[in-house]
Amino acid sequence: MHRRSFLKKLGTATAGAVVLPYILPTGRLFAASGSQIAPHVVFVMFAGGVRQQESVLQRYLADSQQFPSEGNIMNNMLVGAAPVLKAAYGTDPGVGPRGSVPIPAILQQSLQAQGLLFPELRATTAGHYSGYNTLLTGNTGTTQGLRQKPIYPTIFEYLRRHAGTPASKVWFVGNTIGNSLPLLNYSDHADYGVSYGANFLAPNLTFSSTGITHLSNAKVYHPEEEMAPMLQMKYFLNNSYNSSGGVVLPNIGNTDEEKQDIRDFIRDTFAKVQTNQIAFPPVNDNGDLRNVGFACEVIRRFRPALTVVNLSSVDGCHSSFTGYLRSLHRADHAVGYLWDFIQTQVPDMAGETVILVSPEHGRNLAPNPIQDENDWYAYDHSDANSLRTFSLMAGKGVPQNLVRGSENNPLGSSMDHVLTMAEILGIKNEVQMSGLLAPGTLSLFDRI
Amino acid sequence: MNMRISVKRTLIVGVLLLFLGSSCRRDEYQIYELDSLGVTGLNTGKNKLKTSSQYISILYANLFQKALSANQLVEITNLIESIGDKQLAHEIVVSNLMNRPDVRIPTMTEMRADVDGFIDETYTRFLVREPTESERSWFRNFIVTNTFVSPEIVYLSFALCDEYQFY
Repeated sequence: MHRRSFLKKLGTATAGAVVLPYILPTGRLFAASGSQIAPHVVFVMFAGGVRQQESVLQRYLADSQQFPSEGNIMNNMLVGAAPVLKAAYGTDPGVGPRGSVPIPAILQQSLQAQGLLFPELRATTAGHYSGYNTLLTGNTGTTQGLRQKPIYPTIFEYLRRHAGTPASKVWFVGNTIGNSLPLLNYSDHADYGVSYGANFLAPNLTFSSTGITHLSNAKVYHPEEEMAPMLQMKYFLNNSYNSSGGVVLPNIGNTDEEKQDIRDFIRDTFAKVQTNQIAFPPVNDNGDLRNVGFACEVIRRFRPALTVVNLSSVDGCHSSFTGYLRSLHRADHAVGYLWDFIQTQVPDMAGETVILVSPEHGRNLAPNPIQDENDWYAYDHSDANSLRTFSLMAGKGVPQNLVRGSENNPLGSSMDHVLTMAEILGIKNEVQMSGLLAPGTLSLFDRI
Repeated sequence: MNMRISVKRTLIVGVLLLFLGSSCRRDEYQIYELDSLGVTGLNTGKNKLKTSSQYISILYANLFQKALSANQLVEITNLIESIGDKQLAHEIVVSNLMNRPDVRIPTMTEMRADVDGFIDETYTRFLVREPTESERSWFRNFIVTNTFVSPEIVYLSFALCDEYQFY
């Protein structure tokens, strides 16, 4: 009798000892099984369609306009000297040709020198939206429709579900609400979806002049005398609706406290906009640069585990090659500024962050017939050259000054970024086990 | 003799017939009917999520009793799209609209003078239905008990509740 009782108690105690340590405060049952490389990831979708020839290959006008001028116009990201002839990508001088003053590099050492470059990656698609989907879901999305939520789970959902990360620690800062960008903060997948979504913000719009008109004058209610009864009545109404078979409202799961933080952030950011205190880069004459300035504000305020920032001004290349060069140079300025900001202005994230930068696809080898003010031809994105792209990462735990792959030896896929971010954040096994990545997808660390 | 009997019989038969005729009346049937009543909840038909533009145009009409201009509709819809947490975006939009001087909300005095009328009117305005007796009773008690609850706060709760997000 005593022996049986002893064995029963022993079994219960053993089972408890195994299970209890894994019930985490975040509500998930098991701790992430992989080791974390860094607690913060910033992923810049260097999007809009970036041609290999003007970016990593550093051929400037030589491979596009048949003009013998080569050089690097991405001085924060890549190692290489700037073009000598016909600089048209910089800022406008008081006197002299338009765009002839390159923007000085912000980083003392380029990201390439600080980190790991895959100069010849393969994109799976030449379309913007499917390209975004590939970068964020790790799958080809060949059946992905436009204006439709991603079919496969996004890295946001993997992180929130498998690491138990709160909603306010996962952000997607879009430069626009066009191109179905707001749809990308969570998928339609039954096992993931809205409950694990990211906080999306298109700050160029939210904090625009129309935003000031319609959003900046929010009435402040007394928390106890007004907000508390309001919430009581709202909960009563919700209970009444839900108990009568009402539909559950889609909700990305910000808690009341998180909502209050975001509300305060929006209010404070409006105040900063109106007093010109947003952390914009030194040059901020296009939407990408302003978007990065707002992304810096998000990062400073919320210190997210994952921040995805989208850029896309280079897509102007459909009609203006000069504009494309200017936008490419500015996108590099934005990335350099963002990385410098994290290292110098956000102490909690300095030295604890990995940055990844990759376009969603490239651009054509041959131009279209449209010429700009310099008589340079424009480029679309639809051919095999559009599938050539690159990936760059730097930061905590990333090998320095390492290049893998080359023009004649492509290595890696744009789908690899999801598993790479998952590995950095310590959820690689869980993401692999989901079985929802495209076959053959690897972490870029495994490509080394 | 026979003649006399015949008259007497005729009179008797006539009286009997008269009696019987007056005593026979057609039955009057009382028919009791019931109106058909649905047994489901009043709000179960609302299962389609409003788009941002539907939400803002209906909200504006509810608060201002007039239509939102096309330009403003596009602007506010885009602003809602620019914020991922839609409930939060709606809260911010509503609290901005509440700050406008032309918003049409009953006064505190009007609400407290006829609480039931106010509740019925609010349900009809926002949820396009009458409250159930239990809902009316809960709101009546809540408003009467909490003397600082204003019509604006009641409107805010209706504009942000789940049922209002669906049609």
